[in-house]
Amino acid sequence: MSIAAQARPFAGAGRRIRPRLRATETTLLVIVAATLVVGAMSLGATQRLREARQAGETLASIDLAPQDPVALAVLLGAVGLVHVAFVLAGRRTDQVLLPAVAMLGGIGLLLMQRLPQDLVQQSFFGLVLGLGQLQLVWLLIAISVIGTLALAVRSDAWLRTYKYTWAAAGIALLALTFVFGSETNGARLTLSIGPISGQPSELLKVILVVFLAGYLSENRSLLAEESTRLGPLRLPPIPYLAPMGAMWAIALGIVIVQRDLGAALLFFAVFLALLYVATGRMSYVMGGLILFLVGAFVLYNLFGHVQQRVDNWLDPWADPSGAGFQVVQALYALGRGGLLGVGLGAGLPTIGGRLPVPAVHTDYPLVALGEELGLVGLLAILGLYLVVVERGLRIAAAAHDDFRSILAAGLALVIGVQVFIIAAGNLKLIPLTGITLPLISYGGSSLLANAIVVGFLLALSDRGAGAPAPPRTGRPARLARLRRARA
Amino acid sequence: MDGFVLTLWLLRLLFLALLYAFLFAVVRVLLRDLRLASRGPAELGRLVVVASPRGEPVPGASFSLDAVTTIGRDVNNSIVVDDPFASAEHGVLTFRGRAWYVEDLASTNGTFVNGIPVDGVAEIGFGDELQVGEVRLRLDRGRS
Amino acid sequence: MTEPRTHAAGGRTSARPIGASIFRTGIALACAFTVLALGAGWWQVVEAQRLAVSPDNPAVIALARRTLRGPIVDRQDRWLARSGRDQNGEATREYRDPTISPVVGYASRQFGTSGIERAYNAQLLGLVGSDPLGGLADKFGVASRDPLGLRLALDLRLQRAAVDALGSDFGAVVMLDPATGEILVLASTPTFDASAVADPATAEDTFAVLRVDKTNPLLPRATLGRYVPGSVFKIVTAIAALGSRAVTPETVFAEQPGAEKQGLLVDGFRIRDGHHAVTGATPLDLVGATEASCNIWYALAGLRTGGVSLVTTASDLGFGAPIPFDLPTAISRVTSGNGSAPGGFEDDVELASAAFGQGQTFVTPLQMALVAATVANDGVLMKPHLVTALTGDGPGARTAEPEAWRRVLSEDDARAIQAAMQKAVEGALGRQFTAGARVAGVPTAGKSGTAELDDTQAPHSWFIGFAPVDDPRVAIAVLVERGGRGGERAAPLAGKLMTRYFELYGRP
Repeated sequence: MSIAAQARPFAGAGRRIRPRLRATETTLLVIVAATLVVGAMSLGATQRLREARQAGETLASIDLAPQDPVALAVLLGAVGLVHVAFVLAGRRTDQVLLPAVAMLGGIGLLLMQRLPQDLVQQSFFGLVLGLGQLQLVWLLIAISVIGTLALAVRSDAWLRTYKYTWAAAGIALLALTFVFGSETNGARLTLSIGPISGQPSELLKVILVVFLAGYLSENRSLLAEESTRLGPLRLPPIPYLAPMGAMWAIALGIVIVQRDLGAALLFFAVFLALLYVATGRMSYVMGGLILFLVGAFVLYNLFGHVQQRVDNWLDPWADPSGAGFQVVQALYALGRGGLLGVGLGAGLPTIGGRLPVPAVHTDYPLVALGEELGLVGLLAILGLYLVVVERGLRIAAAAHDDFRSILAAGLALVIGVQVFIIAAGNLKLIPLTGITLPLISYGGSSLLANAIVVGFLLALSDRGAGAPAPPRTGRPARLARLRRARA
Repeated sequence: MDGFVLTLWLLRLLFLALLYAFLFAVVRVLLRDLRLASRGPAELGRLVVVASPRGEPVPGASFSLDAVTTIGRDVNNSIVVDDPFASAEHGVLTFRGRAWYVEDLASTNGTFVNGIPVDGVAEIGFGDELQVGEVRLRLDRGRS
Repeated sequence: MTEPRTHAAGGRTSARPIGASIFRTGIALACAFTVLALGAGWWQVVEAQRLAVSPDNPAVIALARRTLRGPIVDRQDRWLARSGRDQNGEATREYRDPTISPVVGYASRQFGTSGIERAYNAQLLGLVGSDPLGGLADKFGVASRDPLGLRLALDLRLQRAAVDALGSDFGAVVMLDPATGEILVLASTPTFDASAVADPATAEDTFAVLRVDKTNPLLPRATLGRYVPGSVFKIVTAIAALGSRAVTPETVFAEQPGAEKQGLLVDGFRIRDGHHAVTGATPLDLVGATEASCNIWYALAGLRTGGVSLVTTASDLGFGAPIPFDLPTAISRVTSGNGSAPGGFEDDVELASAAFGQGQTFVTPLQMALVAATVANDGVLMKPHLVTALTGDGPGARTAEPEAWRRVLSEDDARAIQAAMQKAVEGALGRQFTAGARVAGVPTAGKSGTAELDDTQAPHSWFIGFAPVDDPRVAIAVLVERGGRGGERAAPLAGKLMTRYFELYGRP
């Protein structure tokens, strides 16, 4: 009997799956669990103390039962299950991403449990779910998406081959939103099909990265050329500049049609960053920045809502109870937090039925965390995001080929840039744009899209994922070629 | 009441401390990872000479393997096997993804994995024994 | 950026290794996150205290509902504002009478705070001054707070007398101790009932009326009202003129007596005077010109001093910027500053007019009181202050010490102007203008002013002064809107109030 390659058409398919311990991940997850349990205890005690004080009573005994232990247990259980699945599958995927994501998601859950539960309510089959419960449901879905993608995606062919199909799907999604989207707060963001509604721009960012990775990896060397000269600028052949122009136009279109400044900024920034990653040329970034400034100038002068955003940003105290209310209240919340924060759950409750900071659960969760965890906690959270980004870029650097490199870098940057845009908006460093804080903000679309990002990153980090097919049966001439290549 | 407040404050500080403990643990992992990366790519695998009747290669010697490693009697091979039963260009070992494959380059006397002749290309796992002519070599995990 | 590139055939540049650009992108993002961290630090550490005690902060508003604000008392511990609780246990605030409203302001649940209540909101609520550890407990909402009380330099009896004297006129009175800068009176009329604004039951209605009231009772005229000064500004010119050494107390202008009849021609503009009948052919010096309130002498002195010196001296006195004070103040200015002539004047006509207070000059009553006090205090301007002590058991309690702001003019120059101002009140000629300002048995100095507005309206009536001249204990500025000539309305009012001061505090 001979072992013939023909007898094994699919590499590794016949190999036995060997469980592989993931000690790092286990350790980190234990710390995550401990942190979240302590957080829930602190939150629960604070809530009880607040209620007691409002009722004019004093608490008799020290009661440190965690807030909503069931929800926390379910979340930690789900993360644990994914961890066990990873171990059993024996895959050599990244061991830091899952704990970091679990930490961020858990902090988000604690925050949603602390906010008024009737902020968002949905009923499923007569079961009414409040803010915290809905966030838990979405987190569970997100975690299962992460696990499924990390384990199931073993080949990237379906992504790289059909990049134009993906691009078309993305544009279709955009068009659908334009036609059928409903407006919230002056922005046409939400697409509802039947009972399901979501924000397509969240999904769009993943599609964008996939398409860009495909396009850039294919045309990398061409884009790095410098054959056209335009004054002091050395540019690649004009046809290859077209995508840049198209991307700029799409970003502008999103702002004009959807009035979604944040998504447009995110897309354009990620696009520029990936262009730089692929070509290593600063001139693209410079050109892009010039285009951005031109676009920003045009938008500022043409659109009232853009102008209003910028004016609110420059001087929110001009109208602190009207247009500047959200910004001013956010800064007050940050100021209340100070260095160590007021403690989980001890932030300001509603004032006269209004949230202290409007849209705190979607646009301003970082501010609420800044109030309750202080500067120290805020920096830790920014650190967690940096960890996610670092892992993503590390995966990109270690990837086998350009497509995977650019894909992983793009996925990491999408999270990093989104965090920067919303955090900088919250901190009044740039005008506020209504995008979510990845993995913490309330919202199904946001959690799902970022789960897909993390799932892909995990899949890409597997050193065995989508291994190329075994070499074809050799001809002696192949050897000469191999030798030449090695020389 | 005061005890409660104090406990609560300790809890809150503990929460922050644990957040940083997590970050600290992660940073340790990242630094280890960077150290490994700076050492260059880990060795993909090694071939240890188990038996070599002619003494070339020397029994007990081990070769660090590149992703593509050729074996044969010709001196241009990565691993030169001075054996009358080996062909000049006998076989090639390739690392693909995370598995090793051995390809027989139409050698006269064939290449064997654990005594089984290789027809074209075959996968070879760590611990498997490769036979080229009369020389037997074992594929081992690389040092990392 | 300057890595060597490998050039392949056909002018192509091969793409650089992707790892390097990934690394750089990561570094860029890390830098961006550092900026975020700095931004967070800015708001949460550097600006935190300011944000935390801002009266608009919802946490402060919520706290104000529960916390009993500290009491505010006058210099003899008469209560001005005090707190209580209503039947729901929520804090209430009561004010002694409307005369103090422009100073003390109000603390309303619906309409925020004003006046001293706003300026010292954090202290009155016990928000500042606590130690950091106490602050930690504070955030938790359990530690007992220590609202501080305020003692003002204000004398309630004098404040009432001032408002009484103003009567139905609109105007302002500022009295202070020139040696310490303590503000004894800061009256403004019309005034309003702060208790009605503070009471949640009546606040809506009261405030709705106040807000549309054309007489603007919510405007504290003494600190935020800006008026044409008229002749009282001549004291500023005198300070600048002597300080610049361009003019001495003995300086006379030969052309002055002749110009009295026709008016002084400056660049084609005729500056007129009203006293040529009495001063005759002898040229006037500083004392004479001040006593006669000679526009022409001051116009000439101003021209000789120059615009730059005039504006610089004025800014030494507090012009050109908000006065550092317990309450917000409007900016007094000598000129609009848009002109091309030195000092920002448009031309010599404006400078000459400003020198006797009729240019583009606008002043607050508080500013003019400081001018009088500076002269009275032999040239040293003391920092004006209302709050003399933060009282209570809290750690923030302290007493304010008198503090010199700066020396504006030399002692000799100050004495020269003192003499001139005394002559303006007590001299044979000055008496005809400002006789009413005299305090019987106390040497009094001062300068009246009549601020011409236009022909249809009565002028603003001004007086600034101090007494006793040899050892001034009180300085005063009085403004009566459209009160007529300075000597007719403001000067007698000032005399009455200074007399009252010496009745209360004893004669020298």
